[in-house]
Amino acid sequence: MFRNSYDSDNTTFSPQGKLFQVEYALEAVKQGSAAIGMRSKTHAILLTLKRSTGELATYQKKLIRIDDHVGVAIAGLTSDARVLSNFMRQQAMRSRMTYGRAIPVGRIVQSIADRAQTNTQEYGRRPYGVGFLVIGQDETGPHLYEFSPAGTAFEYYAHSIGARSQSAKTYLESNFESFENATLPELINHGLSALNDTLQQDKSLSLKNTSIAIIGPSDSSSDIENIKQSAAAKRGNFRVWENEGVENLLKAWRRSRGEPEDGPQEETTPPTAEQSQSVEGSENAPQGAPAAGTTSEDVTMEE
Amino acid sequence: MTSIGTGYDLSVSTYSPDGRLFQVEYANKAVEAAGVAIGLRCKDGVVLGVERLLHSKLLVKGANRRIASLDEHIGIASAGLLADGKHLTRRAREEASSFRENYNSPVSVQILSDRISAYLQAYTCYGSVRPFGLSSIIGGVDKTGSKLFCIEPSGVYYGYRAVAVGKGKALAKTELEKIVNKDLESQQSGNVESSLTCKQAIDEVARIIYLVHDDNKDKEFELELTWICEESGNKHALVPEELLKSAEEKAKAALEEGMEED
Amino acid sequence: MWKQPAPANSSFNEYNTFPLPQTQRGQSSHAHGPVGHTQQPLVTGTSVLGLKYDKGVMIAADNLASYGSLARFRDIQRLHPLGKHTLLGVAGDMSDFQWLKKELDALLREEDALALTDSHPSLSPKNIYELLSNLFYARRSKMNPVWNAVLVGGWDKVKEESFLAYVDLLGTTYSAPTLATGFGAHLAQPLLREAYEAKAGIDGEGPLLTQEEAEKVLEDCMKVLFYRDARSINKFQIATITSEGVTISDSKSADTYWKFAEGLRGYGAQTQ
Repeated sequence: MFRNSYDSDNTTFSPQGKLFQVEYALEAVKQGSAAIGMRSKTHAILLTLKRSTGELATYQKKLIRIDDHVGVAIAGLTSDARVLSNFMRQQAMRSRMTYGRAIPVGRIVQSIADRAQTNTQEYGRRPYGVGFLVIGQDETGPHLYEFSPAGTAFEYYAHSIGARSQSAKTYLESNFESFENATLPELINHGLSALNDTLQQDKSLSLKNTSIAIIGPSDSSSDIENIKQSAAAKRGNFRVWENEGVENLLKAWRRSRGEPEDGPQEETTPPTAEQSQSVEGSENAPQGAPAAGTTSEDVTMEE
Repeated sequence: MTSIGTGYDLSVSTYSPDGRLFQVEYANKAVEAAGVAIGLRCKDGVVLGVERLLHSKLLVKGANRRIASLDEHIGIASAGLLADGKHLTRRAREEASSFRENYNSPVSVQILSDRISAYLQAYTCYGSVRPFGLSSIIGGVDKTGSKLFCIEPSGVYYGYRAVAVGKGKALAKTELEKIVNKDLESQQSGNVESSLTCKQAIDEVARIIYLVHDDNKDKEFELELTWICEESGNKHALVPEELLKSAEEKAKAALEEGMEED
Repeated sequence: MWKQPAPANSSFNEYNTFPLPQTQRGQSSHAHGPVGHTQQPLVTGTSVLGLKYDKGVMIAADNLASYGSLARFRDIQRLHPLGKHTLLGVAGDMSDFQWLKKELDALLREEDALALTDSHPSLSPKNIYELLSNLFYARRSKMNPVWNAVLVGGWDKVKEESFLAYVDLLGTTYSAPTLATGFGAHLAQPLLREAYEAKAGIDGEGPLLTQEEAEKVLEDCMKVLFYRDARSINKFQIATITSEGVTISDSKSADTYWKFAEGLRGYGAQTQ
C-alpha cells in the first residue's frame, strides 16, 4: 500500500533523514494551478491562473486579501488555505489593535510557518496541503514571501508555485534582475509572460482565468488600473483585478508583445482539461474521472 | 544499513535489539545535509558563522537568515530542518524571557543550553512526536565569560572551544582544531588566557566556511556572521558590513592561495 | 494628587498623609476571600512634564518616590528609555511603574531578537503609546488600574517628527505640544504653554523653542513645583529625545530663594 515503510506518517524520519509525508504535501501544492509573485523597489504583485471545475462552475479564486498591506496567492488545498489565511487576518488585526501597527510582512508569514511546522512533528496530524505566495509592504518596503507546508518561509525577488510553475520560474530567473527598477506596467507584463508560460499548449490567458493582485501606488501614466473603481488602488493598498477588471492589464500586455490586443478568439471548447479529482475530502464535488491520458499536472484539486 | 526493514526504526519510542534509537540517528542525517554552521569561542567573546546555501537565485540577498538571537547576549546557529530551527528558536526565546521574568537577571548560556537540551530530549521519548532534525550551536557572553555549546537531536550537549555542524563539519573541525591548538600552545608558553580575539576569529570562521563549501557540488551560498563581544556592546549582533566584506575577501584570497599550492 | 482613603478614625485627610492601606474585611463573596485589586497607590512619584522643542521632545521628572507624605526614596529615576527613540516619564505608583518597565523591556527585547533575523525596525513611540493606552484602559475596565500617569516622548523616524502624548490609569489619552501630569497639570502646564505659544503661537505654526530655551522653561517649572508641591524634591532629571536618540541628564537642582520666608509667621525657629 505504501511506497516504503517510512512514508505512512509525519513523525517518522527515513534513514536518509527525510520526512516523506512533508514531501508528499509539497506535491499537493504542485497540483494547484500556478501562482506567481514578484516585487520591484516600489511594488509587489501576484498573478494567478484560475481553474473551473466545469461549465456550470465559476472559476475558483486564488487571491485572498489579508489586510490593507498584505495579500496572498494560494496553490493546493483551498480549505487549508482558508484556515491559514483566516489566522493571518487575525494576526494582522491583532497587531493593528494592540500596537496600531501594520504587522511586518515577514512576521505574519512566519506565524503561519510556525503553525505548519507543528503539523510536521506531531503524530495524528498531516502537514498543510497548500502553498502561499505572500506579498506585502511594511516599514522596510515591499516584500514577497513563499510559505510552504514544510513550515518554511523564504523571501524572494520573484517566485512561482503550483502546476507547471517551473516554466514560469525559468522565465523569472532570466529576467528578475530587471524587476527591481521596473515600473508597475513593466512588472505586470513580465508577470503575465511568466504566467503565460505555465499554460498548456491550447490555452491562453483570458478575462476568466487571469487574476492579478497589486500592492503599491497605481501608475498614473497608464490606464491599466481603473482607479475610480478601487479605493485600495488609490491608496496603494492590496487590490485584486479579475474578470473585466483585468482587461486593460491583459490588453497592455498583448500590445507589449506585439500581439492583437483582443487576444486569441473565444475558445470554442469549454475548459475540458479542467476536471477535478477529489483528494482528502474535496469540497468541490468531483466532476467525473479525469480523461485518459491526462497528465497529473492537469488534474485540478480544490481550486 | 542493518536498521532498514527491521521495524525497529519506525518510532522514536522503540529501541532496536542492540539498544539504539534509529529515529534519532536518522534525525542526525537531516543535519548532515545542511550548510555548515560554526561557533568559535574567543577571549573576548563568541563568533557564529553559517554557510547559507541558496536553493534558488531568486532568493533575496541577505534575507532568510539562519542565525537568530535568543536574548540580548545569546545567539543560535542551527543546521538541519529550517522549520525545526524556527520552532526551537522560539521556544528558547520564551525560556530566556521567562528566566528574566522569574529571576530578574539574564539567563546564563549554560542554563539556557541545559533547558533547550531538555526540550529536545523530550522529543526523543514519545511515539507521538519525532525528534528535531537539528543541531544547534549556542554562543553567548554572560557574567561567567564567553560560552559555546552544541546541542544535538538526541538532546545531548557539550561545551566547546570551537564546534562545527552540518555538511562538511569534519573538514571544518580539523581547521578549528588547528586554531585551538595554536592558541593552546601560546597558553603553555606563559599566556594564561586564550589569545584569539573575535576580530581575528571572524576571518578564521569566514575562511573555514569558504574552504568547506564545495563549489562544484553545492549550490551557491551566502556567508552569515554574528558575534557577541565588546565591539558589539556585548550583545548578539551581525558582524558589521565592512568586517564581513574584508573577512570574505581574505577567505577568497586564502582559498586561491591554497589552490596554487595543490 | 494620588487620593487615598482616610483612616477610620479620621473624618478627613486633606494632606494625603496616611499612606497605609486599610484592609477591607468582612466583604468576602468568594470562598478564597475577595479578589484583591489595587485600590490605592502606595509609593508614588509626582508630576512629569513634557515639552516639544525644535529638535525633539524634553521630559522632566524629579527623583522622589514618596510613601504618603514621607519623602521615602530620594534617588528614583522616573524617566525610562524604551529602545532608541522612545522614553516614558512616569508618575503615580512606583511598583506599577517597575512592573510596567519589566513588561515593556521584555517586549522590546523580543522585538530586537526578531529584528536580527528580519531587519524590521522596532516598535515606534506611537506603537508603544497605543499599547499603553490599550493596557491602561483594559485594566481600569477590570477595576484593577495600572496606577500611573505616563508621558510618552519619542521621535518618529518615518515621519521625522517628535511625538508626545499622555495616558493615565483611567485610560484617558491625549496629545499636545506641552503636557504635564498631576500637580504639574495645574502649576506647570500654564507656564509651559505660555513659553511654547510665545514663539510658536496658539496654532503652533511659528518656530519652536530652542534646546536652551526649553531646558530653561522646564527648570523654571520644576522649581515652581518644588515650591508648591509638597510631594516633590529639588532634584530632577531632564530627558531629551531627538532623531539622534534618547539622552537623560544627571540629576540637577533649581536655584531656590527662601529669604522671603524669614518674615513669615509660622516659619523657621519662631516660637510664638
